[in-house]
Amino acid sequence: MRGRTTLVAMRELSAERAQPDSLAAALTFTGMLLLLESLAFGPGRAREPDVASGVFWIAILFAAVLIGTRSFDRDLEDDAIEAIVALPGGRDAIYAGKTVALAVLLGLVALAAAVFAIFLLDLAPALPGHALLVGALGIIALAPVVVLTSVIALRVRSRVAVVPILAFPLLVPQLVAATQGTSAALQGRGPEALAWAGLLAAFALVYAVLGLTIVPAAIE
Amino acid sequence: MIQTAASSFPQVRLRPWLGIVAVALSILAMWMGLVWAPTDAVQGEVYRIIYVHVPTAWLAYLAFVVVFLGSIGWLWTRRPWFDALAVASAEIGVLFTGLFIVAGSIWAKPTWGVWWTWDPRLVTTAVMFVMYLGYLLLRGLSNDFERRATRAAIIGIIAVVDIPIVHLSVTWMNSQHQLPSVLRPPGGGSPSLDPAMGMTLGVSVLAFTFVYLALMVERMAIEGRMQQRVLAVRSTGAVRREGAL
Repeated sequence: MRGRTTLVAMRELSAERAQPDSLAAALTFTGMLLLLESLAFGPGRAREPDVASGVFWIAILFAAVLIGTRSFDRDLEDDAIEAIVALPGGRDAIYAGKTVALAVLLGLVALAAAVFAIFLLDLAPALPGHALLVGALGIIALAPVVVLTSVIALRVRSRVAVVPILAFPLLVPQLVAATQGTSAALQGRGPEALAWAGLLAAFALVYAVLGLTIVPAAIE
Repeated sequence: MIQTAASSFPQVRLRPWLGIVAVALSILAMWMGLVWAPTDAVQGEVYRIIYVHVPTAWLAYLAFVVVFLGSIGWLWTRRPWFDALAVASAEIGVLFTGLFIVAGSIWAKPTWGVWWTWDPRLVTTAVMFVMYLGYLLLRGLSNDFERRATRAAIIGIIAVVDIPIVHLSVTWMNSQHQLPSVLRPPGGGSPSLDPAMGMTLGVSVLAFTFVYLALMVERMAIEGRMQQRVLAVRSTGAVRREGAL
């Protein structure tokens, strides 16, 4: 199982390296959203930790849906899913491998978006280590749900609309925890940031286990 | 391979009686709620909407727990009866969650001064409503019976996580909403109800539960007929293909 998961994840990452269309789209999208935020709210309000972290995580959420759906589009285009499903344990490997690959790609997008936000909004995180921890756990908590909803919406009409409609309500607790945790880390409230990070870790664990238990049934 | 729907649907003899009991209990609950129950010392008459608000909340929870059980049943056994249970309960759950939100909003205006506020209970309930609308949307987008049932079942299992979040949001987060007064968490809740109010609320909950059961039986019967038609079309196609070979 681990070998096949690594295989699927590496395949995803090398496909993205060869043709980084979803990564480029996600980076452009998050950059654009942060820029629009500072224009819409004005420089004073956009710098407020609650606003900045909220917009940052909404941008990451959209980026996750974008990368997740594109990844399955690619597999449907070249009929790769059938080949992987045919392997023993292939369904589990698709779910786990795509989750790992999405988390890695989202990590890159989040890192670039964070650097951009720090420069653009002149942010000075009081606790950068805590912010990194919340960021990493937030991404790990988002990825399984986005892959899960992408799997469920596979070969369904209006897929592009269905994935966010299914994913966003499921991701509200993670979004709240990630936003509050990041805001707390930006303002130097360490214990609060760690508490939100703990909640994100719990959500990541629940959805990873739940996903591995039931999602493979939906992959055809 | 799924089993045929025809043998999976039991003939429910109680079916007409459920509707009659639901109507009788609803009339009794209405009389108790509007006439018999005492006026609240703080809120006056407006509190009486509790006899609609709390039962609809209870039904929303119950309906989505039934969706969860039906979803597990489908994934476990592949019997269409469980899928019919899940879809019937989801539709009724969405209806009662909508009523729950509307009743809460009507109550909020005279007591809080606003129709809607960004309170944790209200937001998590709205999220639950959208989640199950997504469940119904997903079902509507797929024509293949088995695929539709399996995918919807996964959402039905995952979405149930939101029920404790909705119920306990008022204790976990700083909320304007009153603490739970019926399913109270250990160590706290709202002050207990006056016995007459409690009894009226109990009858209202029972009446709404019978309304739910009556609607469930009718909706499941419709779903059963739809499943039988789908399976009949499928088996006719299989026979034709075999004949062609």
